[in-house]
Amino acid sequence: MTTTEYREYRVEEYSVKEEPFYAPLSDEIEIFTAAYKQKIPVLLKGPTGVGKTRFIEYMAWRLSQPLNVVKSKNKKPGPSASGNGMIPLVTVACHEDLTASDLIGRYLLDANGTRWVDGPLTRAVKAGGICYLDEIVEARKDTTVIIHPLTDHRRLLTIDKLGQVIEAADGFLMVISYNPGYQNALKDLKHSTRQRFVALEFTFPPPEIETEIIMHEADVEREIAEQLAKLGDKIRNLRDYGLAEAASTRVLIYAALLMKQGVAPRRACQVAVTWGITDDEQMQRSIDEVVTTIFA
Amino acid sequence: MTTDDSRQASDLGPEMARIEKELERFPGAVLEKYRVARAELDSRLRPQDLLDWGNHALAIAGKAVRSWEASAEYLEASPAVQRQLPSGQFIRWAAIGGRLCDDSPSLAVSFFKASPDALTRLRPRYVDDWANLGRALYRGTWKSSNLACHFYEVSPQLLESLTFAEFTRFGESLQVLSRRSYDLADECLVKAARLFPRLGEERDAFITVSRDLAEHSWREVKGLYDAASTSLTALEPVHRSRMLSIARRLIAAEQVNIGEFFAGASNAVNHVPAEFRQRLLELAEEPLAASPASVNLLITQAPAILDRLSPSQFEEWHREGMRAIDESPESGPAYYRLESARARESLDHLSSGVELNRVKEILRTYCRALSNRDIEVNATQQIVDKKIGWVNEQSATTEGTTIYLPPVADRFSHKDENFGWYKVIATHQSCHIEFGSFDFDFDAPSTMFQDLRPEMHPAAKPKTDLAATVAELVTDAIPGITETDPSPNASPNASPNASEEEGGIELAYLTDMGRFFDLFSDRTLGLDIFTVVEDTRLDSRILYEYKGLAASYRQTQAASLSERPRIEDLPMREAMVEFIVRLSLRQTGNLKVPKGYTDTAQQIRRIVNMLSEISATVEDSAEAATRIYAMIADVPNNTIPEEDFEDVNLDDEIPDEEEENTEEILQMFGGEGESAGEEPADSSQQDEQEFTDEEAYDSPEDVDYRGEFKPEMAQLLSQLSMDAADFDGEPEPITQEQLEELLKNSAELEQADMEEGEEGQQQQMDEMLQNLMKEMQQRDPDNQRFGDGPLVHVPEEGGPLEATEPNSFVYDEWDFRANDYKPRWCIVHEKEMAEGESQFYEDTLAENAALVHEIHRQFELVMPEMYRKVKRLEDGEEFDLDAVIESVIDRRTGNTPSEKVFWRRNKVERDVAVAFLLDMSASTAEAIDENKRPTDDWGAPDDPVEYMVWLRSRRAEGLRRSYKRIVDIEKEGIILLTSALEQTGDTYGIYGFSGYGRENVEFYVIKEMDERWGPAIPRRIDRIAPLHATRMGPAIRHATSKLIKVDAKSRILFMISDGRPQDRGYSREGVEKEYAVHDTRVAFEEARKEGVTPFCLTVDKNGHDYLKTMMHDMNYEVLSDISMLPTRLPQLYRQLTNA
Repeated sequence: MTTTEYREYRVEEYSVKEEPFYAPLSDEIEIFTAAYKQKIPVLLKGPTGVGKTRFIEYMAWRLSQPLNVVKSKNKKPGPSASGNGMIPLVTVACHEDLTASDLIGRYLLDANGTRWVDGPLTRAVKAGGICYLDEIVEARKDTTVIIHPLTDHRRLLTIDKLGQVIEAADGFLMVISYNPGYQNALKDLKHSTRQRFVALEFTFPPPEIETEIIMHEADVEREIAEQLAKLGDKIRNLRDYGLAEAASTRVLIYAALLMKQGVAPRRACQVAVTWGITDDEQMQRSIDEVVTTIFA
Repeated sequence: MTTDDSRQASDLGPEMARIEKELERFPGAVLEKYRVARAELDSRLRPQDLLDWGNHALAIAGKAVRSWEASAEYLEASPAVQRQLPSGQFIRWAAIGGRLCDDSPSLAVSFFKASPDALTRLRPRYVDDWANLGRALYRGTWKSSNLACHFYEVSPQLLESLTFAEFTRFGESLQVLSRRSYDLADECLVKAARLFPRLGEERDAFITVSRDLAEHSWREVKGLYDAASTSLTALEPVHRSRMLSIARRLIAAEQVNIGEFFAGASNAVNHVPAEFRQRLLELAEEPLAASPASVNLLITQAPAILDRLSPSQFEEWHREGMRAIDESPESGPAYYRLESARARESLDHLSSGVELNRVKEILRTYCRALSNRDIEVNATQQIVDKKIGWVNEQSATTEGTTIYLPPVADRFSHKDENFGWYKVIATHQSCHIEFGSFDFDFDAPSTMFQDLRPEMHPAAKPKTDLAATVAELVTDAIPGITETDPSPNASPNASPNASEEEGGIELAYLTDMGRFFDLFSDRTLGLDIFTVVEDTRLDSRILYEYKGLAASYRQTQAASLSERPRIEDLPMREAMVEFIVRLSLRQTGNLKVPKGYTDTAQQIRRIVNMLSEISATVEDSAEAATRIYAMIADVPNNTIPEEDFEDVNLDDEIPDEEEENTEEILQMFGGEGESAGEEPADSSQQDEQEFTDEEAYDSPEDVDYRGEFKPEMAQLLSQLSMDAADFDGEPEPITQEQLEELLKNSAELEQADMEEGEEGQQQQMDEMLQNLMKEMQQRDPDNQRFGDGPLVHVPEEGGPLEATEPNSFVYDEWDFRANDYKPRWCIVHEKEMAEGESQFYEDTLAENAALVHEIHRQFELVMPEMYRKVKRLEDGEEFDLDAVIESVIDRRTGNTPSEKVFWRRNKVERDVAVAFLLDMSASTAEAIDENKRPTDDWGAPDDPVEYMVWLRSRRAEGLRRSYKRIVDIEKEGIILLTSALEQTGDTYGIYGFSGYGRENVEFYVIKEMDERWGPAIPRRIDRIAPLHATRMGPAIRHATSKLIKVDAKSRILFMISDGRPQDRGYSREGVEKEYAVHDTRVAFEEARKEGVTPFCLTVDKNGHDYLKTMMHDMNYEVLSDISMLPTRLPQLYRQLTNA
């Protein structure tokens, strides 16, 4: 194709249209579905690169499928914001400078003075979508003030600058993610916040499932995928012995992708896995040895 | 003889008669000897000479009370002497003797006595000199006369191997020595007499050295002679002379311990390759001028270094050493002692060998990754030292939790290959753990065999001599233990029914592995087969799972294969075992077995092949082992001619699995097969027939990369630690009887020296048992303590240390003289402080209530400072006027305006982490009001034993104390501060340190950084007490390592001390103070490089002098009044953290 194509969505209109690949580890799909139907906010716990975001995408897609729509139609009209029966997915990656107004919205200056613009959370609330706040503990503390009323029975969003209160649309669900090992103790999630969510714990998939995932995602031979899954497994064994963050499924997929492009396996693992997960030279050397033990 | 002469002689008659007459006054011996001598001399001397001779006899005899003895000796020696001296000289000789007698008759006695022998080797003109040499040693005392006499006595002996010039110089050297000590000179004289004949041409050089030494450092001379007679003589002459010339220059350079130099260096020279010896000595001369102390070290270290380097590499390494000396002469000794990082790095760089220490961490992490267990990696030496059944220091092995590897890999000419070797052997060991070799469960089913184990019965246990020994020993050595189960002393061929008596008593097996091996009547064969089979399983699994390693793994297998003994050279049963070993190493052709056993071999092949399946488990190996055992246990172990071997066709299809004749197998294991009653009887007959030329079965040689496999011991040891770790459920403790039983039977136990005879064996077995019990206790986590325990003394010399215990850490130490680190020099043992009473804490807070209040108020004042105005925000409390104006201007001028026009008071997060490091040295026990004694008076004895006594008395003093000690003030300060710190929310840890020697730096955790405040902490503070010394460096390094793990914007290391750092051996060559101060300074600098702000608060009034060096340009404060500490500490803290 010669012309550059891109698609532009309004935040609240974006939804997952193709079925994302997701290999369930246990009953997380059922739990999430149940929680969604009962409007219970969900907290996803787990190390980075384990598939939390993918899971949300998958669930957003899955819950939008006719079967579910039919079911919900039997009771009440389903999510409607985008009109096509799809549940919008609003993802916000939190960072340490993220304030409440980044989520709710703010006045912007323009030629005619100031104009109010809704923030992503407000849009999700209005559109009845899933609002996924990734790495929530990174955000400023003042965000909790707005999260609390949205995540209990009230389901209200207060916009004090406008003097408004918005009732969340039916399909709205707050989902947050959080990586317990990653942040330091100071940045722990408050208990009052935590207890508003049902928690789904994500761990690294067992080698068999991870093999499938890698094969699917990178479209590589089973043998390569198996070896990568083994590598991931071995490296994760080191979490208790000085490795801060273990190799995620994501880096394994990257390594597989590089191999697919013709990069030599050992080298691919080195750049995608070893150097990605640690700067400690000794640890790098040890991991390299594991790599050379597994890959020829 | 002329008539003139005879006339004269007759003229002399009356004179002579007078002499004879006068001699009658003396004891009869004199006259008697006179007559004998005269009879001989009459005809040989001119009358005048004869008269002179006689007169001398008379004169000598009359000189003193006992001088007649000298005269008698004179007379006795005369005829022999006269034969050797011309007559003029002869009389002169008599005169010399007479003069000696003036000084001391005993001197003369010795002189005369030695003369006949001495004069055979002495030119007549030297007689005078000789006499004078001896005379010079005499200084009128009894001791000096002894020495001088002795000198005459050994002179003939000395003259035999020395020229007179040499002899003279030796005599002079004795003189020098005798001025210091007659005894010493005398001893040297004795030694010299024995030494010189063996020294050859180098006598002269040696005498020179000994003379120089006598002048420079006389005390060492004896050592020199000792060393020379044992070691110098062992050298080739050419090296000897070189060595002596080096020694001479060393003496000139005021080097001490020449004797030691000779002993050590000679030994070392003889241990380097012959063609390199001369060169080594040449090299050794190079540092003579700049760093004489290095010379000895260079030579003595050479053999060890040459184990790792080729001669040319050695020279390269030495060049680096010389460069180090050029830069700083003081660094030489540390370099050659391998105590400087530079030396080690250079060595490492040059050698192709890989040292385990260098790659240990990597291998450990690697093995942990593979196995997902908390594996340690250590040198084989360590498990051998434990003496619990492992003896081979070159074989890799594991006992289930630690992988033991040989200390150096030096098989190949490239580093990478050597590391690859380490990797292969470490992988094999770690796979024993990963793939469950030690998880064997007797009752677990196998995956591919019919399980026969449950139907088998333990073979009657043959008591080996060894086992019997242990049994006796245990009962003898350990009182209170009675042998509960008198072991059946059945023969190996006993019928299965013999095991009946065991049926009665339910045998408790310590390990599943032991229970399994009990099935075999020949445990050694059983173990050997199981080992090969299990290794085969592992190898196949490794090759499948770890494809990256496969290439080098296969190479290693091939290399091992090429080193195997020839099957044809082995007796038949051993040949069969070797066949399996070779099969397991993937030999593909030309495999032979004794004639008639090819079918058996094919069956074995089938079984071994089954184990190559990925799904095979250790239980499969066990089942396979029983089957193979059944096939070959009855093969007679005869040596047969080579023609009687035939090839096993490996191209043949692997035979299909036949219906297994399980009964047959079971019979071998005392199962209840139908024909069980008769068969064994048959086989025992067979055995008897063949017994005549059968040889004792020997285990196959170890396959090098597989190392040693001791599953039973591994299971036992893991059992021990599990029992120890298991708190609830009250596990059955392992009894001595059980352990004894295991030791009796296990085929895995090896002994260091089988030749030592029965007594030695007994001792070793006893030791092994004791060691096992010790090991058992050590593995009990409740048992780990230190501090009050015996202090292990590690000499200050010696190499890097290893942290073997849990919670111990190794740190380098800075040697300012060498200007380099001493690698892995100190061990820090970390331990949680024991808990005392919280009384002290409460009292302190109560007594200082006002101060506490004040501190709290001050800290509250700190809080508002934490709020700062943050400008240029998109959102905030108010408009930031400046920004708004800017923004409006931008808009008006058509630029994109900034939206950041607000400001807000933002809480700046206080993000501080502090580690408080308290000096718990003995000197903090001093009373604060009577600080007359300077605080750096570390009067502790250096000897560990004396030290313990000293310590005890010091502690006893402490018990009677009613005054406040420095340490109490430290504690108070910490208490007041922590109460305020809780308010700020800062992260902080409190640690105390002390220690004794570099291997015992104690590091007490009172509060860990991430530990929450709790009631335990006041109780731990209570136990802060003066202990031993202050080795600050390692403690600082350890605290720094804790600080950098904390995520905080500012990290502070706050040390509170009462004096300068000091410790036994925190020094070298008497530069104690400086050494310690410099190491501490470097430790602080390291901390600063890590982003930690160090601060030192001391209560030593004299602190300014060394703190200036120690803290360099870092912050410190000297408190002039110790009682100020509790007030000052919080103030300082505030200043530091607000900066």
